[in-house]
Amino acid sequence: MNTPIFRSNGRIDRRTLLALTGAAAMAGGEAMAQGTPKRGGTLRLSAQSNPSSLNPQTGNSGSDHVILYPLYDTLVEWDYTTLQSKPGLAEKWVYPDPTTLVLTIRDGVMFHDGTKCDGEAVRYNLLRAKNDERSNIKSDLATVQDITASGQTVTLKLKAPDSALPLILSDRAGMISSPRAMEEHGRDYDRRPVGTGAMKFVSWADNERVVMTKNESYWKKDRPLQDGMVFQIIPELPTGLRSVTAGQNDFVYFLVPQQKALIDRARNISSSLGPTLWCIQMYINYGRPPLDNVKVRQALNFAIDREEFNRACFGGIGEPTSVVLPRAHWACAQEYANHFTYDPDRARRLLAEAGHPNGLDIVGIGYAEQLAVQQQEVLIEQMRRGGIRLSWQRFTGPPTPTAFLAEKKGDIFLAAWTGRPDPSLTYQLLFGVGSYFNAGRGEGAPGLTEALLATRTSDDIAVRKEAFRELEKIVTENALVMPLVFRPELNAFGPKVKGYRANLLGKPKFEDVWLEG
Amino acid sequence: MLANSPRLRLVGRRLVQIIPVIVLATFVVFGLLKLVPGDLAATLAGEYATEERVAQIRAEYGLNDPFLVQYGRWLLNAVQLDLSRSFQSNEPVLDQILHRFPTTMLLVVGALLISLTVGIPLGILAATRAGSRLDMVVTSISSFGVALPNFWLAMILVATLSLSWGWFPATGAVRFASDPQGAIWHAVLPSIALAAGGIAEVVRQLRSALIEILSSQYVRTLYAKGLSPAAILWKHGLKNVAVTLLTVIGLLISRLLGGAVVIEAVFAIPGMGSMVVRAAIVKDFPVVQGVVFTMVILVIAINMVIDLLYTVVDPRVALK
Repeated sequence: MNTPIFRSNGRIDRRTLLALTGAAAMAGGEAMAQGTPKRGGTLRLSAQSNPSSLNPQTGNSGSDHVILYPLYDTLVEWDYTTLQSKPGLAEKWVYPDPTTLVLTIRDGVMFHDGTKCDGEAVRYNLLRAKNDERSNIKSDLATVQDITASGQTVTLKLKAPDSALPLILSDRAGMISSPRAMEEHGRDYDRRPVGTGAMKFVSWADNERVVMTKNESYWKKDRPLQDGMVFQIIPELPTGLRSVTAGQNDFVYFLVPQQKALIDRARNISSSLGPTLWCIQMYINYGRPPLDNVKVRQALNFAIDREEFNRACFGGIGEPTSVVLPRAHWACAQEYANHFTYDPDRARRLLAEAGHPNGLDIVGIGYAEQLAVQQQEVLIEQMRRGGIRLSWQRFTGPPTPTAFLAEKKGDIFLAAWTGRPDPSLTYQLLFGVGSYFNAGRGEGAPGLTEALLATRTSDDIAVRKEAFRELEKIVTENALVMPLVFRPELNAFGPKVKGYRANLLGKPKFEDVWLEG
Repeated sequence: MLANSPRLRLVGRRLVQIIPVIVLATFVVFGLLKLVPGDLAATLAGEYATEERVAQIRAEYGLNDPFLVQYGRWLLNAVQLDLSRSFQSNEPVLDQILHRFPTTMLLVVGALLISLTVGIPLGILAATRAGSRLDMVVTSISSFGVALPNFWLAMILVATLSLSWGWFPATGAVRFASDPQGAIWHAVLPSIALAAGGIAEVVRQLRSALIEILSSQYVRTLYAKGLSPAAILWKHGLKNVAVTLLTVIGLLISRLLGGAVVIEAVFAIPGMGSMVVRAAIVKDFPVVQGVVFTMVILVIAINMVIDLLYTVVDPRVALK
């Protein structure tokens, strides 16, 4: 049955609501009953982006993870629904004191090249991530002062208490490579990865495909379920979707909400939809006028009708928000999620109080792609009602964030924040003093740095939650960012694909996927 | 003695012409890429990079050097067939081009063959029945073919022949060397989409040239001598339009190479077209320059072959 999701009144129809609810339930780890998992077959995926690197330490694109996950295990893993940490390569970890983290590495795990994954291998990886000149994740391990290893134990001495580290180790920093392979291949390791993951690397034809075969001696029981995986690089999402419809690929991910109607119309494919950390937002350069004035920033926030933006640009299936974490996240400060309700009159008043009674010109930096331009045009009209004359400078591809974040062009920047497993990293990267994603580089509001540190001082979830509430209060009241909508994870897959579960991070993992027939 | 051969002189002249054309084309492209806004080093460094890392990349790739120095360095290496390495993947650009070149050429050759096998009979049919309803139909269809965007036709072909009926693959390509049959199978739809404009071009040019010849005085004389219309068409008409046809083929190949950029995107074909588009987006100068360099050489080589063929079908060309 073909049910369009974009109704003229912009409301979510019943089917979509059920799909979202169902997906959320699936993301909770309760995969729908789809029969008994079977082994065998090659999972063929359409990937939108060529990996920036298959070395997790040197890559620089958030979309790499989907291809990295099968190749590398992470020291820590996360729950699909809550993103709370759980054991990975590290079977346990403890903080004997606030500035010491001790990891116990699972015994008997081997790298794809036959070498052992022990404490020394983990220490080698962490030191390299922290110190190598080509490492892009130095800041992830900034609080680590010293690393020692003995047998299967790795001890991290910290400069300051840091309870975010376990989840940081579920990301790139925790993807452990074979030290021997890294030494042997040098820079070529970027293209010749050797991890401990469920899949072994076979080949990578640039902008064409990445081929993997199953790791016969994988440590996880009954995994992998597939004999191999092939990521076909298809940059155009409509083409990727067509490849699944035609049966040439089994799975396509990172689809945009506008494609939901196409998926529903196709008879031989299904979709999965789930909430994610993927926030469409406007970054603000609050380091210089006019956005160094909190009233101007608040005016911008009140000038946006997030509900209307969601309906116009996301078919109503996104989650409108005023904060940087979705409601489903354990650290979300729920009371601020709707803080900036649409109020153009208030926006005008705030502008007048800030010394702009005749309105204000704002220059935005944005992508030139069709969907981004649509969003920009909606925002132009919304902001106009609030007395803000918004214009856009558009760029294509990677030079776009560079223009705003590195070259300091424009006042605001419309883009996605793809999220991080530990929320403190999200706040640190977005608002930390000197952070690349903080275009102004300075402290956005008094007390922010202390509030950021407070989110990392305890590993008690209740304490951390309260710390995040305090932090979000500072961020929201000072309008340091303009979160708009959380984009749902939308994937499409053929009839053979079973067992897929969406996750809150929004970066698909395929460890439980099996192929029928 | 060889030096006195008109054909060798022609080849020599063309080879000499290659030099300024390559320098001009690559210089213009290099300049345009430099005009694209954005700091390449910051882009390459990625979102997590420190200022030090950006500065390091700038030095590593020689981006601090003046524009002319950067271009001169690239050109000097290129003439030694060192097309440098991709900024993104660090792979040799020449290897990437050689890997993708056969895929693009399969499309271009396929589209050329379709253009000629469909276009030539239709052109002859229209010319020999000039002014008839059939001529009007063929002329109208060819006008439509010229105006038809090939990406639109590609989508229609995929929607019907691939997604609805499942006759052909909707996306991708197979390397000819590893599976010739599969490679041709994958190339059918993109080649048809690419050939639409080519068919129309061949029909229109052939019709117009053939009508002119068939209405000339010497053809009237041939009729007066009692030759059959078929003999006149095959022995005298087509032989005389061969030069026109060769010109059309030469132009068509260049056009098909350009059109492949769009078609490769629609069908997700890993060819040279899609490679240069992605490289341009991420400002991967060596790849863009390498592809332009290859394309310029290719087009000049094709023109040279066409010029040589002129001398075969019409020896007067060589004498001139």
